[in-house]
Amino acid sequence: MVEKKHISLTVNGEKKEADVEPRLLLVHYLRDNLGLTGTHVGCDTTNCGACTVILDGRAVKSCTVLAVQANGKRVLTIEGLSPDKNRLHPIQKAFIDKDAFQCGYCTSGMIMTTFAILKKHKKLTEEEIRAALSGNLCRCTGYDNIVDAVKEAEENVEEEGIELEEPEPVRVRR
Amino acid sequence: MTSKFDERFVNGTARYVDDLTFPGMLYLGIVRSPYARARIIDIRGGITHKDLPLKLSSVGEGATEGFEFLEHPVLANKYVGYVGQPVAAVFSENRYAVEDLIESVDVSYEPLKPIMDPEESLRSEPMYPGLKSNILFDKYRGNDFEIKDAPIVLEDKLINKRISANPIEPRGVLAAYDGKRLTVWISTQSVHSIKEGFCETLNLKPENVRVIQADTGGAFGTKGGIYPEYVIAAAIAMREKRPVKWIETRSEHLLATRSGRGAIGKMKLYADRSGRILGLKGDVIVDTGAFAGGSGEFSAPFIAMQITGPYHIRNAYIHAMSVLTNKVVQGPYRGAGRPEASFFMERMVDMLADEIGKDPVDVRILNATTAPFKSPTGLEVEASRPFIEAAVRELEYEKYRGKKGVGFSFFVLVPATMPGESAKIAVEGERVKVWLGGNAHGQRHDRFVETILKNELDVPADFIDFQLGDTDQTESGVGSWGSRSAMMGGSALILAARKLKSQVEAKHGRYSPKLLLQGKWEVFEFFNYDKHLNSLGANLVYAETGSLGEIRIKECLSYYDVGIPLNERNVINQIVGGCAQGVGQTLFEELAFDDNGQLITSSIADSGVPRADLLPRFKAKLHRNPSSLPSGSKGVGESPTIGVPSALVRAVETIAGVRIRETPINQEKLLESLRIV
Repeated sequence: MVEKKHISLTVNGEKKEADVEPRLLLVHYLRDNLGLTGTHVGCDTTNCGACTVILDGRAVKSCTVLAVQANGKRVLTIEGLSPDKNRLHPIQKAFIDKDAFQCGYCTSGMIMTTFAILKKHKKLTEEEIRAALSGNLCRCTGYDNIVDAVKEAEENVEEEGIELEEPEPVRVRR
Repeated sequence: MTSKFDERFVNGTARYVDDLTFPGMLYLGIVRSPYARARIIDIRGGITHKDLPLKLSSVGEGATEGFEFLEHPVLANKYVGYVGQPVAAVFSENRYAVEDLIESVDVSYEPLKPIMDPEESLRSEPMYPGLKSNILFDKYRGNDFEIKDAPIVLEDKLINKRISANPIEPRGVLAAYDGKRLTVWISTQSVHSIKEGFCETLNLKPENVRVIQADTGGAFGTKGGIYPEYVIAAAIAMREKRPVKWIETRSEHLLATRSGRGAIGKMKLYADRSGRILGLKGDVIVDTGAFAGGSGEFSAPFIAMQITGPYHIRNAYIHAMSVLTNKVVQGPYRGAGRPEASFFMERMVDMLADEIGKDPVDVRILNATTAPFKSPTGLEVEASRPFIEAAVRELEYEKYRGKKGVGFSFFVLVPATMPGESAKIAVEGERVKVWLGGNAHGQRHDRFVETILKNELDVPADFIDFQLGDTDQTESGVGSWGSRSAMMGGSALILAARKLKSQVEAKHGRYSPKLLLQGKWEVFEFFNYDKHLNSLGANLVYAETGSLGEIRIKECLSYYDVGIPLNERNVINQIVGGCAQGVGQTLFEELAFDDNGQLITSSIADSGVPRADLLPRFKAKLHRNPSSLPSGSKGVGESPTIGVPSALVRAVETIAGVRIRETPINQEKLLESLRIV
């Protein structure tokens, strides 16, 4: 047995600490250790993007990041997206309004990628949005409604004046 | 409007199989064959065929029985027939330890030369003792005929290569056993088909098996029937008395999940100089894979049956063959024989148009049926001419006529109507729960359920809780495949709603939604249906090539007869998503194997699932000719995967100036013809 490594990171604003196998993938740490099953695994070659989370402000595919690589960093998953648990985030609302999913399996990854897109860019053209989504695969929708949802999400975010920032750490829980 | 049903998909609270966890749960891992064809000399470690001497029963869409000696063993029995075939099983409490255990199993093989090409297989020695040839199954459709002095005789060989369904959620199962009863949570299109598979394969009584659908992340045909891994998980759960979970990796999906298409059409078309088709002959060869029990046996004659399409073809004679190869067993993928049939026919119609120098759409109109017609191969089609004339008008074909880069397709969709479907409504505590016998895997059946309950019972959507499949809730059911659910499940739900209404009226002397919601009620209904209910469709594609020879689709337009759309927005969503898959099959998607049977396209990207930046915006218009069903609806789910490939191939063909005979379009040949390489 390889010696476990101690990690300390912030997930959805909560400080987390754990001793993990060095080979443990971030996605499995989130899903199996923390029970955050909203992040999905769709492939094993970093192609599909179903496992996309925000790591220190950037969209990453959590199936290709080791949990130990997230040590000392901030992770945002679909469960922590909305600052208010009882309300949907404007991006989530846009995905519902535009019918941007059918089976829903790629949706968490799509939404987290949208978060990263909108954090960085404004008023993207349709072609730019499609390019920005090209790391996330959807097999059901043909993407049209997802592209529309990204456009609507930008309007929603602007209207509600919401900052696309990861929450700051609030408390320690082991 | 946002319902709770929608919310769980955007806030991470949906529950797919891999999201479910039980105390003491074991993870299952599968040791798979690295060879396409080999004898197994010895296996050290793991659970093997000796421990589980079972064969897969044959269920799911299009599955047939009668090939006992070629049934798929759950774990390989001294022989492997394809790369990825399950050979041994291991389990552990830890996902990662399972991977280590897989490595620890030592299998020695004596490799044999595999047969990868179905046409080569036809010329080869039989793969298995007791067979006279590698034709697993064959059937003739239509009647032999002779047309002497036909002014035009055209022959061609057309191919749809094997592709993977690639739902973004791979397959998965979680089995638990309480000493008497097996309970299975699964990603599926049909809890009833899966239950039947467990009962038959493990010889269990129906009352001792319960199958519950987890949220299902796409399926497209592949999650309708039983698979070896499901049986192994259940058998270990029963032996160990602990819950066992198996989650497929994408690599496993590409190797070992039944893949679709894989068909060759050798066509011979007879016509006169005006473009009227006089007859059609041919061979349909389906690459059925290494064992019986997929849809391979069914799909060759199914392709042959519908090959005449929406055309008035009086003479037709097709030899349909399912041919063994060293690949995973062929199975249904969105369309399941329907796209293949249409591709073969539509390619020949375009060839005829080129031969006589007529517009391809005019040739289609000329050959469309003007009255209800039953073709010699058995396809029933309504008068198709009024539809194609409407399609030409609605898709504004005149704007595109004669242009380079334009393709048009015309087809008949033959949904899997038979034998009908079930539905159940239960009312308690002012909530209305609804189950359908066939289970949605992304099609949003909740939407048409809302429409029907509003229409029939005046119940607002807020009161409805649409339920996932559960064999303890519906005593029987069929499945969600073959473009059938809104028609069959919808009609079953209408009957159930009407029965419920009459029960409320019998008790209270009148009906009101309030009386319904205040009571406690339960009705189950099976809508029996034993006929075909076909519908027509057309696609128009306009494409250009970029400077690097890449295909840029400027327009991809659909015009389909959907009867009465029960939820129009949802119907459009189905069409748009299906169009993306049609483009995928045509331009990108393939499961390609080398001569040794190794998969070359071994990632989801290499196997060609299209990205957002490679697809156009799709447009759809609906033709609304109500069906005779209680729901008035017609099938639609598979229409785009039937219509888009033929139209897109034609569009590219007119740009390239060379005939295109296969999907996916060979990019290298295309670039050569465009003089780019």
